[in-house]
Amino acid sequence: MIVSWKWLQRYINLDQLTDAQVAERLSLSGLNHESTQVLAGDWAIDLEVTSNRPDCLAHIGVAREVGVLFDRPLQVPNPQPQATGPAIESLTSVTVECPELCPRYTARLIRGVKIGPSPAWLQELLANATGDPTQFKSINNVADITNFVMLECGQPLHAFDFDRLHGQRIVVRPARDAEVLEAIDHKSYTLQAGMCVIADADRPVALAGIMGGAATEITEQTVNVLIESAEFAPGSVRNTSRRLKLASDSSYRFERTIDPIGTDWASLRCCQLIIEHCGGQLCAGVIDHGGAKAERTPIRFRLDQIARILGIEIAPAKVRRILEALGVKIDEGNGTVVGIWSATPPSWRRDLTREADLVEEVARIHGYDKIPEDHAVPMAVSRTTPVDISSQRVRSVLTAAGLSEALSPSLVPSVLSELYSPWSDRPTMATLQPMLGVLDTKFWNNAGPVDCVRRSLIPSLLELRRINEFRHHLPIELFEIAKVYLPGDSFPVEPTMIGVCSGRSLLDMKSVMAEVFGTIRRGLEVQVDVVSDSFFAPGRGLRYRIGDQLLGLMGEISRSTQKKMKLRQTCVVGEFFQEALVRNLQVIPQAQRQSLYPAIERDLNFILETKVRWADLESTVRATGGVLLEQVAYRETYIDAKRDGEGKKRVLLTITLRSLDETLTGKQADEICQRVVSACEEKCGAKLVTG
Amino acid sequence: MSLPDFIAQLESLGTDAERAFADAQTAEQLEAARIEFLGAKAGRLKSVQKLLGSISVADKPAAGKRLNEVKSAIESGFQTATERLENVVEEVVDETFDATLPGATWTTGRVHPITQTILLLKDIMGRLGFTPVEGPEIEDSWHNFDALNVPTIHPARDPLDNFYLASAAVWGSGSSSGADMLRSQTSTVQIRTMQQQQPPLRIISLGRVYRPDTADETHYPMFHQMEGLMVDRGVTMADLKTVLRLFATAYLGNSVPVRFRPSFFPFTEPSVEVDYYWNGRWVEFGGAGMVDPNVFLSVGYDPEHVTGFAFGLGVERLCMIRHGIRDIRDLYTNDVRFLAQF
Repeated sequence: MIVSWKWLQRYINLDQLTDAQVAERLSLSGLNHESTQVLAGDWAIDLEVTSNRPDCLAHIGVAREVGVLFDRPLQVPNPQPQATGPAIESLTSVTVECPELCPRYTARLIRGVKIGPSPAWLQELLANATGDPTQFKSINNVADITNFVMLECGQPLHAFDFDRLHGQRIVVRPARDAEVLEAIDHKSYTLQAGMCVIADADRPVALAGIMGGAATEITEQTVNVLIESAEFAPGSVRNTSRRLKLASDSSYRFERTIDPIGTDWASLRCCQLIIEHCGGQLCAGVIDHGGAKAERTPIRFRLDQIARILGIEIAPAKVRRILEALGVKIDEGNGTVVGIWSATPPSWRRDLTREADLVEEVARIHGYDKIPEDHAVPMAVSRTTPVDISSQRVRSVLTAAGLSEALSPSLVPSVLSELYSPWSDRPTMATLQPMLGVLDTKFWNNAGPVDCVRRSLIPSLLELRRINEFRHHLPIELFEIAKVYLPGDSFPVEPTMIGVCSGRSLLDMKSVMAEVFGTIRRGLEVQVDVVSDSFFAPGRGLRYRIGDQLLGLMGEISRSTQKKMKLRQTCVVGEFFQEALVRNLQVIPQAQRQSLYPAIERDLNFILETKVRWADLESTVRATGGVLLEQVAYRETYIDAKRDGEGKKRVLLTITLRSLDETLTGKQADEICQRVVSACEEKCGAKLVTG
Repeated sequence: MSLPDFIAQLESLGTDAERAFADAQTAEQLEAARIEFLGAKAGRLKSVQKLLGSISVADKPAAGKRLNEVKSAIESGFQTATERLENVVEEVVDETFDATLPGATWTTGRVHPITQTILLLKDIMGRLGFTPVEGPEIEDSWHNFDALNVPTIHPARDPLDNFYLASAAVWGSGSSSGADMLRSQTSTVQIRTMQQQQPPLRIISLGRVYRPDTADETHYPMFHQMEGLMVDRGVTMADLKTVLRLFATAYLGNSVPVRFRPSFFPFTEPSVEVDYYWNGRWVEFGGAGMVDPNVFLSVGYDPEHVTGFAFGLGVERLCMIRHGIRDIRDLYTNDVRFLAQF
């Protein structure tokens, strides 16, 4: 809302005040000051008006605030135009077919006006209130006056050329589907059933509360003028405005509600100014459908609530002065109940309905700066949650391993959503609105809208990899910790996942993840199975478990995945359930006793079938090694078909043996090795190479 | 031979030997010195020792005592020199080695700047006694709007301003308790927490929120918010101002001016906007207010018994100012060069 300093002075004495002083106080009482334009002999002050304060979308409303803040009286005009014409009912009629869309409709008629330019003072105020007078275009005296009254009191008005209304009457009704209206912006709008229109006997002549129609607008030929001052339902105005993509100063105010009592005042004020500046004869009476709203309900206001909410005491006399200056009527009762008032808010403050609303009014005028900000707030402990602890451990290992954290949008196009969904077979959930401007559309020209709520982080991470590859930024080592959304019966399940994407080898990434799991709980036993999943290269997809709990997946992508994502290089991707880690989190790591005795290491060189997996060999060694087995370390695999035959390999491993209580003897070590070798031969067909 | 002459010879022998052993730089030099001074046949000590016979009987004890002292000093000098030379290791000179060459590339990854900002916010609020809570991102319209005192026909519910699900029960008006939308604010978590816990409460919730702005330099359809809530008996606006002042001081530093001005949010009454003065102008820091009694009623708290305050702020703006990031889209493009900066 742009306020002209000069205009404000019509209602309040601003002597001895500067624009900066006023703007500052308004900012600190709820009308945030955006900027001030210095104009010839005036200031245009731009104020941000929150949606609960439509009364301040007008100069009188702002003047009232200034009056309360600086303790100066407000003078509001009292329009009493003389009606010298015949009764309005004898000349026209108004029918309201949809009172739910139009709670009140008033019409007055002025005959014999002379259309011409507006007086200079009016043009100047209207121009200054745009903030940029050079851009202002005066329309004509009648149209300018309706705009003036709107900017004066906040009630939008419309003036019809009465003679061009078919049947000389007004019908407020829902639009019929596909009716067309040419508005005064000279664009045609196709209406939809249910929109509220002002019609004459035959056709719509205005979009209720939004814009008038071209057919009945005021022109130089206009002689008789019908003045509409009405109240339209905010939701209806908003929906129509949105659907037609047509907003106006009028719709802006109706959407925020107008002063229901002020409707008639605005009509009178408008008529008074028209008679004064355009001549003409006002017809007697008014057509008023709906009438003024009933009186406001008084609010029970307990004064002790001020201290209870604000933390400071404010003298009752001051409270009373503030509220009364804002237009609230105070009744302190008959004195039997001290400290409880009956407070009736003014019609233009529909936002005031409860005690809490009055406390806020008192607080903002008294000044938030009067409330201390060095109060003794009681101390309280807070704690770091297990989720945060585990996330921090995951992040510290992954960043130490060279992976950087990425954050990517939760919505993806269907092409990415369908690329891979390891955790849900149900169709992805879609949003009505897509995300705009988040997709590399140069690459994804047929990806469709970004409206799928993602079920996995893996497609997103592959997309990030593709973008970075395209920009030639290597290496690309990324992880993301974020939710995925797995469709459920009513609400989706939203597990938080840890996604990784790396250019290093699958085995190297396995080691990184093993370190991650080790920081969650030292010695956490994680099982890894090779899975058959065409998203991954054959034999290179792994499923992770902790006992029966699913932990996640990781693997090297298959060639077809690589091709679909147009990746130049293969990569490893993985995704793990954070909750599985949180469930196994050891919040406080516990010290274990370390042996002070020397270890004995033995190398075991086995010949076995190529198809035997290390995991089986290792678990056999571990199962038979007993308590003295400290470590099983893989050394290398060696394949020599000539020496060992087709389909055979040699695997060298080292076992470390150590006791907590004594120095082991060679004999003890030999016995353990013997057991291990026998078990490996029996379970895995492994033959020990000797000599 | 007179005693003084004998003593003089002894002293000079001792001094010579001490210097010779100290000066020896190689095992060969030390061996030569050993033979010179301690040689069994022709060593100088031996020669001086032989002169003892020519000392008078009366002087002999004194001469013998001195001889033994010098002898042991020479022997210990030799011992010290031997140990010193044994510890000498010859250094290998390798002119092909260039210590100015770089080593193998070794990089750590970085935590995303948004996460770093979130961790900082959690840290500051943690010190003020606020514990993080989490909630779902896919919400029903009741938690996202109704419980927060947003009227059924409020513009904030507009389908164009929210990510409603295609399967939602309501789009734009009305209330439902089914999966309707991606949450538009983290305040939903306040409601869920209050439904589950009784006061006193001191919580923060941080996370992703969604509004369908087209992505540009300053907008992104997904962003992060921090929401805080404190509820107890006797919580006042003085508590609100004090906590937010402490928070602002911790985040921005002591010298940054902060102001509190009235604003409007459906879920707080009175409502506050907090600004800080930065580069010559007031910048919005976040919104706050005393919890609206209707919000308490919607979760079954009695507004006559408890009061509370809530605040919320956008993480992106704080993060961008902190790190000098000019385009919000950079945060979500995840260019590895961008990420490596933090």
